[in-house]
Amino acid sequence: MNRKRTALAVAAAGTATGVVGLVLIASPAGAGEAPPALPDISAEALVQSVLDADAPAMAGAVELRNDLGLPLPGLPQGKPGEDVARIYADGQGRARLSLDEGGSERTIVHDGSTTWIWNSATRSVQKLEGGPDEERAERMADPATAARDFVALMQKDSTVTVDGTARVADRPAYQLVLTPKPTERTLLREVRIAVDSETRLPLRLDVLANGQAEPALRVGFTEFATGAQDAGLFSFTPPAGAKVTEGERGERPSKQERTDALEGLDLKHVGEGWDTVLTGKLPADALTRQAPENGRGDRGPATGLDLLKQVGKEVSGPFGSGYVVTTKVGTALVTTDGRVALGAVPQQVLVDALGQK
Amino acid sequence: MTAMTVPAPLTARRAPLPRLMRSELRMMLRRPRTLIGLGLLALVPVVAGIGIAIATDANSDEPMGQGLETLVAGNGLLLPVFALVVSLNMLLPLTGAMLAADALAGETAHGTLRNLLTAPVGRARLLAVKAFGVATVSLLATLLMAVTGTIAGILLLGGEGMLTSSGTQLPFLDGVGRVLLTVVLVTVQVWALAAVALAVSAWTEHPLIVVVVSLGLVIVSGVLSVIPALDWLDPVLITTSWQSVSDVVRDPLPTGSITEGLLRAACYIVIGYSLALSRILTRDG
Repeated sequence: MNRKRTALAVAAAGTATGVVGLVLIASPAGAGEAPPALPDISAEALVQSVLDADAPAMAGAVELRNDLGLPLPGLPQGKPGEDVARIYADGQGRARLSLDEGGSERTIVHDGSTTWIWNSATRSVQKLEGGPDEERAERMADPATAARDFVALMQKDSTVTVDGTARVADRPAYQLVLTPKPTERTLLREVRIAVDSETRLPLRLDVLANGQAEPALRVGFTEFATGAQDAGLFSFTPPAGAKVTEGERGERPSKQERTDALEGLDLKHVGEGWDTVLTGKLPADALTRQAPENGRGDRGPATGLDLLKQVGKEVSGPFGSGYVVTTKVGTALVTTDGRVALGAVPQQVLVDALGQK
Repeated sequence: MTAMTVPAPLTARRAPLPRLMRSELRMMLRRPRTLIGLGLLALVPVVAGIGIAIATDANSDEPMGQGLETLVAGNGLLLPVFALVVSLNMLLPLTGAMLAADALAGETAHGTLRNLLTAPVGRARLLAVKAFGVATVSLLATLLMAVTGTIAGILLLGGEGMLTSSGTQLPFLDGVGRVLLTVVLVTVQVWALAAVALAVSAWTEHPLIVVVVSLGLVIVSGVLSVIPALDWLDPVLITTSWQSVSDVVRDPLPTGSITEGLLRAACYIVIGYSLALSRILTRDG
């Protein structure tokens, strides 16, 4: 009998320890912790300090959570708790960014004068003279840049408040909240930016949509440490046997071509602030052209129109007929004659914007 | 004087632990299936190396395969890492489950566990000896794969040092360090599965059930991890850390995900062994 009791105790204790351990691993660090106590700060002073802050020497890991209901093109898909990028900076303009693209890796090293882009899937290196030609994916992967751009853009049309404090990447941070002014017709409820209390660097950007408790989009550091970094991180020597292409990005259209393409798109901003709508015209063959294969071998639907039929809903109105794609934070409308409108707004605003042209 | 009160005859009757462990190991390594299993595992990196060497000779410019595979060509030191990571998906868990199945359920099936339980060996010690045997042979399997993989890689694929997935070139010794780190990480993950298998092994007398349950656990975890609605479950699944083992070829080494994988495995080891121990303690002779 005694032995049975010991055995039960052993089983219970061991299983409990293991399960508690697993739960601890599963729960994000700092959850359930009391928010740190920080001196009060006015919203204006906080915004100003964010815009003025210098990038310090730091190393960090970034998570990206996308609950939009649609994958974002060009952005790596992160699972909760999984880091998609690691960032290193020396505070003097040299930086290293590693993007984990599930199985392959892209490393972008900016050593002050040259930018190297390594892609492990093709074992190729691109060498660009001068500063990094920043792509959206690379900009978005850095929460600090993404958040700072956003604050600068949205300050005017928002109510900016400081909503207490939080612990992000194990650092005390202020919660800066930008709420659209009541006149703004948007799907977004608010954008929360966690600002590091010490360096005034944005540590996390949360986009919350109306009627959603969880952020629709979150870019943020999961690890963040300031301090001098190993200088070896900021230099890059192409490994033996790698294809090195210099200058312009090999497979991408040149700058001139890109400008032409952009002019062809006839992009216009209608409205400003939160209910900005981007309108434009697709190239004539965009809807009927075969979708290009995207390196990894998974093929989407055959043409743009097929894709729209799959994800969108058919609508018609004063603009003619088209397809509307709705996500939690935005809406896109593509008419059958190739006009496009998109924004973080309800469908009606898009229809109005198309009508204004 | 107090030393005299220790019941001397009892300690004398107990067999010393190292000797038990040695004999257990000798017994395991004498089983033909263990030897055949180890031999086949050692061949995995060689076969993979030959395959990759032939494939890259045929078309030199095309990127081939996914993930680590693209990097292995001309990068011999990566071959053992690649082989271990690939085998961790099925072959190594299968080996761990088989060893654990033999350790207790196999003995029960042959009627030999009864002798062991009535022998003058503490039951906790009996489990410790069995666990030691399983753990050592799993470690032996991964080490063997690393050795054949390294040799095959250098001979078949060549390459100086190790090209990491971050595009940096590690010197030879650092590369060997990464291979050893892979051995450690993979072995610990196999231990985690083997611990669960040993718990099942203590509860049943059919070795086949142990293997089936363990592989069932692996497959179900794999299925659950690809369902987006169950993403919150990911951190507790045993297979989650298996996917992050290939992080060892990143530079600088992402220590966070690696430690997390080890901790997760440790949790499974604690759960598995405590369940196995509780069953062994209550078992009738």
